[in-house]
Amino acid sequence: MLKNILAISKNTFRETVRDRILLSAFFVIIAMIVFTLFIASISLEQSTRMIIDFSTTAIYALQIFVAIFIGSMLIYKEIERKTFYLILPKPITQIEIIIGKCLGLTLTTVVVTLLSTTVLFAILFFQGGQIFFWPILASVLMSTLEAILLILVSILFSGITSPILASVSTVAIFVIGHAEGIFRYMFMTTQIPAIEFVAKVVYYILPNLEKFNIRNDIIHGIVPSLEMILTAVLYGVSYALLLLVITQRAFRGKDY
Amino acid sequence: MNTPVNDIIISNLSKTYGAGKKKVYVVKNISLTVEKGTVFGFIGPNGAGKTSTIKMLVGLSRPTSGTITIKGGTPDDQKVKQVLGFMPESPLFYQYLTGQEFLDFIATLFKIENKEVKIKNVLTEVNLLHAKDKRIRAYSKGMLQRLGLAQAIINDPEILFLDEPLDGLDPLGRAEVKKIILALKKKGKTIFINTHILGDVAEICDKVGVIDNGEMIAIDSPSKLSHGYRDLEDTFVNLITKRRAAPIIQSSSLTPNE
Repeated sequence: MLKNILAISKNTFRETVRDRILLSAFFVIIAMIVFTLFIASISLEQSTRMIIDFSTTAIYALQIFVAIFIGSMLIYKEIERKTFYLILPKPITQIEIIIGKCLGLTLTTVVVTLLSTTVLFAILFFQGGQIFFWPILASVLMSTLEAILLILVSILFSGITSPILASVSTVAIFVIGHAEGIFRYMFMTTQIPAIEFVAKVVYYILPNLEKFNIRNDIIHGIVPSLEMILTAVLYGVSYALLLLVITQRAFRGKDY
Repeated sequence: MNTPVNDIIISNLSKTYGAGKKKVYVVKNISLTVEKGTVFGFIGPNGAGKTSTIKMLVGLSRPTSGTITIKGGTPDDQKVKQVLGFMPESPLFYQYLTGQEFLDFIATLFKIENKEVKIKNVLTEVNLLHAKDKRIRAYSKGMLQRLGLAQAIINDPEILFLDEPLDGLDPLGRAEVKKIILALKKKGKTIFINTHILGDVAEICDKVGVIDNGEMIAIDSPSKLSHGYRDLEDTFVNLITKRRAAPIIQSSSLTPNE
């Protein structure tokens, strides 16, 4: 089983890193990170903060782009271009394909994240200020976890609908996932039972992606506690497992 | 005398889409057997149900009713998949991989030992060794067909399913692919081949099944089937025309004298 998963993930990684869309997005983000040097030069005594703020957001944008837009195309392209016809009759199960695809795209996300974070550290190093190594690393790791959840969501949607709808649906999950405070406020304050019910359902069922957002803390040099990070990791892993089960069910018995 | 072993047994196979009044049969009540070491040609016009049948045979879609037995198991059995080879119609690949990388990926799924040697041998067999490091997106139609065949035979399968392997090829490409299929036949592989290029069927196949509108209308050896007709193409045209003109006539009674 592991060999098959690794073969699929290696194949997915190779295919995605050679994709021109990813390469273009990656170079745009690198250019944005380098551009923070200019922004830093015109900010008064806030240069390090500006560089970290802009760059971690740029890295996050790249991760979300990979997760949502490349993830949404992943399974659909296999079905549309019929490359699945070459894989499914081989001795491999659908769950191995799903996990392999997710791992491959996660690896792609990790590689582009590592490269762009290295550029950020290099800029901070040459800037001569504090590097904030652990806070930045923690922030990037947390956003990678969020990206993995979104990869799974987009893979789930890409197997049951078109890439455009899959992208739109994943973007919707992404937006709602970051608006958990609004839904919490809604069900706690509303007087209308129907709204309370919907807000509660959304709050408890959809992923709370704000758990992975520590970018605002780190620009002030605050490293989140280990307990908070572990809670987020545990939440992310549990939600990822749930998504895997749902995705497997969605693909079971599907005709190609 | 040895009793022939059937590698493929299809019983009352049907596939429908839609329900109620909108229910459409793409494959209707097909039954056939393919003996071990023989080549079965599944011929029919476009949209007759050939690809739908082959997709059920390799586990890409599920039958609505009926059964498929391959080497004693079902198409979903991992043990059965291990001894199967499948080449889809006009195969499409991962554009950014090279031919070698793609075959390496497939060889891993089959857990083939000594992959490099096997890949080299297969690439030589399908005459693609010179293009092994080229990205697949730069391959010509003929090269894609041959790569499709390479991935289907890399596990040295006992049973091969080929969907329109000669389709869209120029005469030279067709001759090359035909040569490979004949070599596989010589090796004793059981081959199920979907095609509508009838000129090559008689040469390659031991038995032929004719399908139209999802129904099997005739099944026999090419020589017996074309007896009384000019050739297999003439047989095919006559069978289909008569069937469509008189759908109530039983398929077995369709003979040249009718």
